[in-house]
Amino acid sequence: MGYTITEKILARAAGLPAVRAGDEVMAKPDFVIAYDFPGYTDVYFKQMKEDFGIDKVAEPDRFAIFIDHMVPTATPAEEELHIITRKWCAEQGVPLFERKGIGHQVASEVGYAVPGAFVVHFDGHISQLGTFGTLAMGIRRNLLEAFVRDHVSLRVPQTTRVNLTGTLKKGVMARDVFHHIVRVLGPASCRFQVLEVGGPALDEISTEGLQTITGLAMFTGAVTAIVNPSKKRLDYALPRARKQIEPVYSDDDAEFAAVHEIDLCNLDPIVVIPPSPANTRDLADYLGIEVQAGYLGSCASGRLEDLRAAVQVLKGRKVAPGFALHIVPTSQQIMADAAREGLIAELVEAGAFVSSPSCDYCFGRIATMTAGQKAVSTGTLNVRGRMGSPDSEIYLVNAAAVAASAIEGRIADPRNYL
Amino acid sequence: MALKNLRGRVAFIFEEIDFDVDQIVGVKNIKIQDVAELAKVAMQAYDPDFAKVVQPGDLLVGNHNFGYGHPHYPPMRAMRHLGITGVVAESFSPGYWRGEISMGFPQVSCPGILGLVERWDEIEVDWAAGVVRNLTRGREIAFEPLARADYEMLDAGGLLQYLKAGTAA
Repeated sequence: MGYTITEKILARAAGLPAVRAGDEVMAKPDFVIAYDFPGYTDVYFKQMKEDFGIDKVAEPDRFAIFIDHMVPTATPAEEELHIITRKWCAEQGVPLFERKGIGHQVASEVGYAVPGAFVVHFDGHISQLGTFGTLAMGIRRNLLEAFVRDHVSLRVPQTTRVNLTGTLKKGVMARDVFHHIVRVLGPASCRFQVLEVGGPALDEISTEGLQTITGLAMFTGAVTAIVNPSKKRLDYALPRARKQIEPVYSDDDAEFAAVHEIDLCNLDPIVVIPPSPANTRDLADYLGIEVQAGYLGSCASGRLEDLRAAVQVLKGRKVAPGFALHIVPTSQQIMADAAREGLIAELVEAGAFVSSPSCDYCFGRIATMTAGQKAVSTGTLNVRGRMGSPDSEIYLVNAAAVAASAIEGRIADPRNYL
Repeated sequence: MALKNLRGRVAFIFEEIDFDVDQIVGVKNIKIQDVAELAKVAMQAYDPDFAKVVQPGDLLVGNHNFGYGHPHYPPMRAMRHLGITGVVAESFSPGYWRGEISMGFPQVSCPGILGLVERWDEIEVDWAAGVVRNLTRGREIAFEPLARADYEMLDAGGLLQYLKAGTAA
């Protein structure tokens, strides 16, 4: 019986010849990643010193800190948190990436998505490094373990495999593919497992689209998602890789907890209705609902392909009067590329409010909604209060649908504009 | 080292699948830091008298995928303040599970629990025997064994104590 890519990565990280799903191991993360956030990084820095007597991390290049939330700052307390972070990174010699964009995206750009690497973060959306064959897990407060020890304790997860076949229809995006997976498999289908995405149509999905799919894995219950990286993904990841690791792949006879097939030909645009990421529905059944705001951005969108889709819809058209359309490219790199391509000008001329990269739109810190308001969004989540008042509502849709809805001021079908 | 058995009444059964624990205090209260304040607003949507009727040692029972969504820590801080000593559910969402285990708050994955208990039954989680026992009705079922690290974390009283103990060893 062969091994999954997950088992192979964790065997190497645990320094063992082989591990199997269910084994309890101590695995050494190749990288420990975090963004500064109150109650997390500031607490780790303090506890390291005060509770564990660690003045310096042993291998500073294993760590990476991002400043992407509370960017730009709005209160002195927020700036003070960033100051603590800057000071700690400088003292420790730990790489700091500030204002470069949303960390989960920037991590790939700057070489932490090393195929075959094991990465931990407190935030589960780091799973999107799986696009490149990296096993990246969000372990919440347990990240402290990675700050004070070389290894983290872990039960090797089982894997559920999803094979993609066919091609996507016009107006259907990777975002729809992910929520379709939740719909078909269920929000608990991959609990405590790894979601491994593969199949003959895997390369039909762009690298950016795959970042969306893998980055949202937690809503299937998975602890992360991963793919066996094709040449296309390796060509991106290997030249910038910060560590030399041999890429690994699931064996043909690897053991999966379950195998599912999704035919992309059958997919239509979806909407995830409030207040749960489990609520996948057909977009066609929710057209016409009045919405006041739209958000195109987050670590689950806001990449060039999303911006292009929005431009395709908005070109030569206007955002409805009074509608607040916020478009936030995911990283500075993406923003610069979008500017060079002329996308930013098109979006601005159509009436979008285009902002520099920040996580803050996704959790209601800015562009905050009040009671009774509704938004269409490509953010990560649609739970109550995520973008402001607990009595506001979020409908998750693909980037093109956000743009189409912005034109009509109602939930709209992007296919009418493509 | 051995975990002490949990013994108490089923103070509430959350029957909703994919239950979002933030609903326990309500999203509008999720930023309250003061645990006494949190405890006051807890369960208002489910049982306004909850704080009055709950007793130290009581447990909560949940359905499948308990803790799904984007779980925050305040709801269960409030529950612990009110005396709740653990949650027994059909199954758990991993993010919630990890978060609460790291707080040293016992979570017991027990397929079949909804068929075993009714509200206010007296139950016992017997760690050594690996069963949840309904003392009121005299029945018991097995729960899923904890990973070693999870057991040790609960035994130590949470992540920080667990790591400190490990470092000292």
